[in-house]
Order: sequence, then C-alpha cells, then structure tokens
Amino acid sequence: MDHRYVLSILIADRVGILSAITSGVTDLGANIEGISQTVVQGYFTVIMTVAFPQAVGEEAIRCAIQNRFHKDEASVLVRPYTPRSCVPCDGGRYILTMSGKDRPGILKALTGYLAEKKINVEDLFFRIVGEQVTHIGEVTVPAHLDLKQVQDELRAVMAPFALVIGLQHENLFRATNEVGSIRRLLKP
Amino acid sequence: MHRTDDILHTVRMLQQENLDLRTVTMGINLLDCAGRDSAVVTKAVRAKIKRKAGNLVRICDQLTTKYGLPIINKRIAVSPASQLLEGHTPEAALGLAHALDQAAAEVGVDLIGGFTALVHKGMTPGERLLIESLPQVLSQTQRLCASVNIGTTKAGINVDAILLVSETLLKIAEATKQAHGFGCAKLVVFANAAEDNPFMAGAFLGAGEPECVINVGVSGPGVVKRAIERLVEQYPRCTLDEIAEEVKHTAFRVTRTGELIGREVAEMLGMQFGVLDLSLAPTPRVGDSVGEIYQAMGVKVIGAPGTTAAVALLNDAVKKGGAFASSSVGGLSGAFIPVMEDHVLAKAVADGTLTLEKLEAMTAVCSVGLDMILVPGDISSVTLSGIIMDEAAIGIYNQKTTAVRLIPAPGKKVGERIDFGGLFGSGTVIPVNNSSGSADFVRHGGHIPAPIQSLRN
Repeated sequence: MDHRYVLSILIADRVGILSAITSGVTDLGANIEGISQTVVQGYFTVIMTVAFPQAVGEEAIRCAIQNRFHKDEASVLVRPYTPRSCVPCDGGRYILTMSGKDRPGILKALTGYLAEKKINVEDLFFRIVGEQVTHIGEVTVPAHLDLKQVQDELRAVMAPFALVIGLQHENLFRATNEVGSIRRLLKP
Repeated sequence: MHRTDDILHTVRMLQQENLDLRTVTMGINLLDCAGRDSAVVTKAVRAKIKRKAGNLVRICDQLTTKYGLPIINKRIAVSPASQLLEGHTPEAALGLAHALDQAAAEVGVDLIGGFTALVHKGMTPGERLLIESLPQVLSQTQRLCASVNIGTTKAGINVDAILLVSETLLKIAEATKQAHGFGCAKLVVFANAAEDNPFMAGAFLGAGEPECVINVGVSGPGVVKRAIERLVEQYPRCTLDEIAEEVKHTAFRVTRTGELIGREVAEMLGMQFGVLDLSLAPTPRVGDSVGEIYQAMGVKVIGAPGTTAAVALLNDAVKKGGAFASSSVGGLSGAFIPVMEDHVLAKAVADGTLTLEKLEAMTAVCSVGLDMILVPGDISSVTLSGIIMDEAAIGIYNQKTTAVRLIPAPGKKVGERIDFGGLFGSGTVIPVNNSSGSADFVRHGGHIPAPIQSLRN
C-alpha cells in the first residue's frame, strides 16, 4: 500500500525552485501524483500530493526538500494525506468577475456571502493595475439556489465597494474561447 | 481552468461593447390550422401559438440570468399565412392578422412574422388576398410583420407581383399616414428569401422547415468595431487582410454565444434547434452601429469611394468567422445596412454623402438590401417597382438574398426628417433620381426569366 502525503511550500520566487522540490521528493522514492503552483507578487507557492512505496516520516520529507534550499529560504509543510470526500458540488460552475477601485474589505465581504450561501470557491485571484482591481473567481453555485436572487444579493452585499459585478455560467466563457463543439459543452 | 484574458475579453464584449443576442425566434408551422371556417382557423392559430410559445419568454429570461447575455427580442415566425387564406375572404385575412397579433401579445413577444406570400413564380388567390389586405392589416395590428418573395434565382422575377406590391406599398403608407407611413416598415419585399431567417420584419417559417424550431439571431456591431479600433490603435499600418482576420475571429466568438443560447432554449422547450444567423444588425444606439465599423476601418465618410469594398470585406469576414464557429449558420448571416436603424448611415443620408445609388451598390455585397429607407411620399408605384426590380436583379443574378424595405413618407419631401422611435430609428427622405425614366420598361410587366445560373442540373 502506498503512503501518501500532502506538501505545501512557500518561497520567494527564483528560477529552479520546482526542480529542487521535485528532485528532493523523487530522490526519496516518491511519485508525484498532484501539483498546483502559482506565483503571487514575487512569492512562489506550490501544493502537491506524493506517494511512497514504504512509510517515510514527515520530518524526513521536510528535510529532503529543505536541504535543497538555503537556511530559512523555504517554508515547508508536510502532512499525511487523508482522503476526503469532495466538497458537495451539486450545482453549476460560474465565473465571478468584479472590477473597480481597490479597497480593503472586498474579499472579506465577498467570501463571507459565498460561505453563507454554501457557494464553493474553486479558484480566486485578482489583478491590480494602478488603483483598479479585477477579481476573477470560479465558483459552484448549488442547484437549489435561485440564481437571480444570488446575483441580486451579491450586488447588494458588494454595493459599498461600487464594483461592476458579473456571475455568469462558465459555458459562456468556454463557448467564446474554445473551438470545440457547442453541443459537447451542453452535455452534462 | 480559464485564462484570465479570455474571461476579461468575454466580459468586455458584454459590458462595454453591446454584445447581445438580438433575437430568439420560434418558428411555428400553422398548416394544420387550415380550414374553410375562418373563425375555426383563427381560434386554432391562437391556441397553437399559445401552446408552443407560451414559455418562450420565460425561458429566454432564465438564460439571460444564467449567462448575463441580454436576449433583446423574443419573436415568432409562422409558416406563410397565405397558405391559410386560400378560398377565404378579405374579412378572413384581416381576422387572421388580428389573431396572429393577439397571439403574439398573449405570449409576450414583440413581433410575429410570417404574414407572407411567396409569389416568385406565380400568385394564388390566397396570396393575392394577403397582399391586397396589407394596408388594412399593417395599419390595424401592432406586432405583425409581412413579407413577399417576388423572385428567386431558380424562378426569375415576377414583375406583375412587384407592380401589385408597389401599389400596395403606397396604400399602406396612406393607411398609416398618421405615423408617417410606418406600416411600410413592417413589410419586406424579398428576392431569394431565406426560409430560416430569424430577423424581422422578414422572418417566416419556410416550407422545408420543421413543425417547430428555434432560430437565433446574434449581432454585435459594437464588438466588431472595438476589435478593429484596438487593432488599428496597436498597429496603425495594419493591412486590410489583417482587419479581415480580426473581424473573422471576433465573428467566431459572437457566433458561438448564439449557438450556446439557441441550443439551450431549444432543449428546454423540447424543440429542434435550427440555425443561428450572425448578422451585424445595428440599432440606433451609439456604439451599436454598422456604419461605425466602416469608420473604424477608415471610411470616414460613408458613401465615399471604397465604401462598397469595405462592406464586402466585412460581410465576407463575418461569414467566414461564423462558418468556422458553427455548422448551424443560416439565415442571412452578414452585415445589414438598415439606414434608419443605424445612426451613422442615417446621418450619411442626411448629409447627402450616401445616396440611393450607392446603397444599391452596397447591397450587392451585403447580406440583405435596401433597408429602412425613407423615400418621398409622392413617389409613383412604377418607380417603386423599378427600385424593387433592380434590387431583385442584384440578388437573383448573384444568387443571394436581397430585400427592399422602403417607406414612402406621405406628404414628405426630400430632406425632411422622420422619427419612428425605438429600434426603427429615424431618418431623412432620400432623393430618387430619374424616377420616371424607366416607367415604360417596368409597365411591360410579366416575368423576367430565370438567369442562366439557375440551370445547374
């Protein structure tokens, strides 16, 4: 039976980070099963799941990665992987967009409303140009919710921030940006 | 995962560039409502329209919420009404028109098309009855639209029908004199009419179409204009083929939104999806104009030499983008040039830079024809016939649809301005040069034979 772990590493971005991490775990005997990496304002972060054929201690894995970097350069978190059921997602995938002047509190208000409605956030990021911010999120809106009501409530909650807000089914974005058949998009 | 720029591009088309679904048009075949008793016919017509289209508006509204894409118009196109009028009286024609108008109001659509006669090769009594009823019908109904097909590449041009339609046009103008001849804005005279066109006033359900079908019309002149503007801003020395390429890619995106919504509406209604018609259909709003596209391409004075080439480039690029986007492209699919409905074209006519002759040339390469043009109220029916014959000839010999929607404005002379309001817009009465110079030719009547291109078997 494989022994699985989930790893998270945070480090100031530079060339060669991913090579160092993957070498560290692979040389320890791991197979990398999942990975997602991004860079936010110069900071690199990655989350990955790995599997070993035999038990390997969490500290051993942490050291295998840490040793590839300078002292205190990287923050490494290692945990045993516990299979979890997915977040309930009986609903449609929507793209949330908000744009306007950046100010504190936008994300708190947004995520507070989404959590209250059990709307799961699968991806969320924003881009700032000057004073203007554009948030883009991928969310799953539970099927039992009235979409019009959600849109209205969301606009009401976010009204103090004077943002232009959209919540539109992802198929619209797939239709306008992919070349595959529309019929396939509409098939569940 | 979606790319940020792709998401923002789509959002920009919707929020800043007036992308919308111009119409979802349900086609309904009414042939099973035919009968000898006109009261029974009209009752059956209303019941069928209500049964088939009762949920159309509600479902369109649901999808507008889901996608954030406005569906501006929900409409109905029925099978040619003349087929229900064979053996009937003028009173029955008027009764049928009212029934269609009321049914449209009951299901909440803004227009219903299909008060139509297809007379390209000859005319039945029912078709004559329909045409002769138009002055009363179009002056007494609000939502009903009419069309007459007077020629096809296969059949040639029915000049006798054109003479009748032209006389009728003047009577419609007179019957709607209080509204400056507005009734004529609800009548399209076609050559090579498209049987699946979802756009009004010329939509009807053709003979080869299903019992019920959903056709959609997408638009988006604002999106195309901004795409060209961005290209020219970034690359001021870009070539025309690069502009055509940009239009094509933009048309692809716009077309796909239409198919997405159209297929979903059809599925929710349990109907067949027919076609999507990607036509750059302007509205009088600034930013929603086909004329602005030509200006973005560099034709600053609409009607100047080069305008026809600009129309050709645009029309062709739109079709190519649409054809790659979907296998269900149909209808008219191209660039419309409805003068009153486009503030730039309307201004060009008012300024005198865009003439009837130049518009006619442009129609040789656009997707429709002489559309929403005000002509003097004292124009003769023979002159109207000549204009229609010219336009039909362009369509028939080039194997494309052409149409004429002229409004003889009662009591109005060249240069006078009329405002219909709403989507129908406003305009200036255009001069018709040498207006009686071909009267003897037109009055010969009869039939212009089908062109040699029709003999393809």
